[in-house]
Amino acid sequence: MIYTHKSPALLIIGLLILLWGTLNHLGAVDHWQSTLQQSAYKDHVGVKEKFEAELRVATEQAAAKKEPAPTMTMPKSKFDEEKAFQAKLSFIFGGAFTLIGLFVLSWNPRPGQLDYLVSTVPGVAFILIIALVVRWGLDPIFANWGKAVKDAGTLSWDFAKIFNLNYVVLGIVVGILVVNVLRIPAWAANGVRLSRLFLKTGVILLGTLYSAAELAQLGALSVGMIGIFVLGSVGIVLIMGRRMGAGNSMTGVLSAGMGVCGVSATVAASPVVQAKASEIAYTIGTILAWGVLCMFIFPTVGHLFNMTPVQFGAWAGTGILNSAQVAGAALAYDPDGIETLKVAEIFNITRVLFLPIIVLWLAAWYVKNEENAAKVDLTHVLISKFPIFVLGFILMFALSSMGLFAPAGHYQGKFFSGDKVKEEKLVKPKQVRLLEGALAQMRNPEETRALKDLIANRKLTSRDQDNTLKAVARIPELDNAVKGILENASKAAWHDSPVIRAFRDWIAWLFALGLIGLGMQITGRAIRQAGGTPLVIGSVVGLIKAVGSLAVVLLFISKSV
Amino acid sequence: MVEPTPSSVQPEGGVSVLFAHHGTEGARRAEPLALELALRWRARIDHLLVVPALWGEMMGDDWLNNASTRDAFGDYLEHQLVCDAQNHLQAFRERCQALDLEHRAWLRVGEPVTCLLELARELRPVLVVIGSRRPKGVAGLRDHLPLDTVLRGLNVPLVIAPWSSQSNH
Repeated sequence: MIYTHKSPALLIIGLLILLWGTLNHLGAVDHWQSTLQQSAYKDHVGVKEKFEAELRVATEQAAAKKEPAPTMTMPKSKFDEEKAFQAKLSFIFGGAFTLIGLFVLSWNPRPGQLDYLVSTVPGVAFILIIALVVRWGLDPIFANWGKAVKDAGTLSWDFAKIFNLNYVVLGIVVGILVVNVLRIPAWAANGVRLSRLFLKTGVILLGTLYSAAELAQLGALSVGMIGIFVLGSVGIVLIMGRRMGAGNSMTGVLSAGMGVCGVSATVAASPVVQAKASEIAYTIGTILAWGVLCMFIFPTVGHLFNMTPVQFGAWAGTGILNSAQVAGAALAYDPDGIETLKVAEIFNITRVLFLPIIVLWLAAWYVKNEENAAKVDLTHVLISKFPIFVLGFILMFALSSMGLFAPAGHYQGKFFSGDKVKEEKLVKPKQVRLLEGALAQMRNPEETRALKDLIANRKLTSRDQDNTLKAVARIPELDNAVKGILENASKAAWHDSPVIRAFRDWIAWLFALGLIGLGMQITGRAIRQAGGTPLVIGSVVGLIKAVGSLAVVLLFISKSV
Repeated sequence: MVEPTPSSVQPEGGVSVLFAHHGTEGARRAEPLALELALRWRARIDHLLVVPALWGEMMGDDWLNNASTRDAFGDYLEHQLVCDAQNHLQAFRERCQALDLEHRAWLRVGEPVTCLLELARELRPVLVVIGSRRPKGVAGLRDHLPLDTVLRGLNVPLVIAPWSSQSNH
């Protein structure tokens, strides 16, 4: 079978992306960009005005000294950086897609691995161009629109912020619209299916951003919460299903879907409990309907309760039935950072680790309750259902902790190093004198020693010294200038690993692409199958899970780990 | 009831009634009417059973499972659908044989409306029989034929069996 479609679609997408990159590079779309990137453009105007003023002064001074006018280069503003970033990304991906698009048109594919791999590229390009349009176009348009409506007094609140209409939510919505209104083009189908690989890769890379203590605390928290709510909801479905006469296979598949991780658990458990096709359809319809609803409601409620990333991540990770929408809600809540995603994904991983156990439980329950049930090979279930990508996550965590990507002991790529302090960041002689004047205010020998070391070395040399001087900077009577010097000395000794920073950027993009692709697999037809007894049971359990986990999070989960 | 005129009779295949459905309860209830019409006209009955493309969407947005679990689910669901379809076709065949009706079975996978219109164009039956939508409150899958598309696309008469047709006949 040949998978590659001889379609010019990939070439067209590549050329469109290249065109956008070129227009940005030439500054031909600056007017559009100034409307879209309003805050960056404000920065640009400020930088430009400052530069022009400095140039004018320098020119006047040169003229007074009868010297030639100086040549100065305007520093890059955030607006310039954003345009350069968009151009760079467009050149890389647009160029690659154009070349592969030309190859597709001229190539005679033969059955094999290469054919399948090439067939996935147009779909990936399709998702990427949607992601670019959403991130660089729709996201700022909605943000500006929400702000404008609020500023004009039409609404007293920013609707874009309240409904979290950021690139993640908009991307998923566009994905859902594409599949339901336009349908996925045949040339893009294989690439769209690849979107789950983006999410798994994102989770694997996420492993580099945890500290051991953080992972241990989040792991314990997630095992506790997921344990209670998974077992609780599986138990409730089993009881409700029996009382409402739903049948063993229906009850079994519904309990897995409602209890563990939604559609994924339904897919894993259906063959084990010998669910009928219609029962699978009812369950998946109910889960998708609840999942999409929760993805919009959860972030808004989270903002109303002013939840921290840990609290919201724990709530979304427990209360949302379907695992794909857990990631969506976490990124919708916190689109600029990935702190919430970090917490939510630990809960997702815990859920998926619970999956083989729950499938085994249901298999035993089904065999006990159903006369004609086929026996299940327990070892096979445990091995086949084990999520291999979790091993990748653990491996990346281990490699990161051992210092492969940034010096060992780093946290999210940030690490302390006195040796790497740049010359221009050293404490200046004038500042040294101010620090010497502050020595008398030190409260103990340790603080005195730390400050003396700083004076002597003109930089921080150890994390202990940094911690001590951070405490010193909080002395109320200390001069503000001294506090500023201590803060700057600390900042100068902390460094950011470029590798981990790149991972962070990739994680955000991978999740955005993955979620758009998964949005393209949520069809209205599948959701419409929700109904009857499964919908009643699913709604009761979904509500109990969402409200119950919210109460537990607000009452018992501290704001940070 | 209108008898088929010679002009509507196909030259080589004889008169045919196309009974088309995708395994819904409405279709099951339409079977007696389809059989009665075929019997009255001594027509061959062409039985089209479509396995809707909807089933291809049943993995939804699953992303946590590995390939072997997804394959196992796909194989399981396919097996279920094939068994259901074969049972359905076999039961209908037996009813036709009992009535001494000539019968042909067509099993297609795809969009029910597309499959119906394609087969109707190919076979040129004297009429097409389909089931009606289930009334509100009755359990069942929500995947009905878009009547507007069927009416626009068909160039042969269409009979929609009422939900309670069994009791009327």
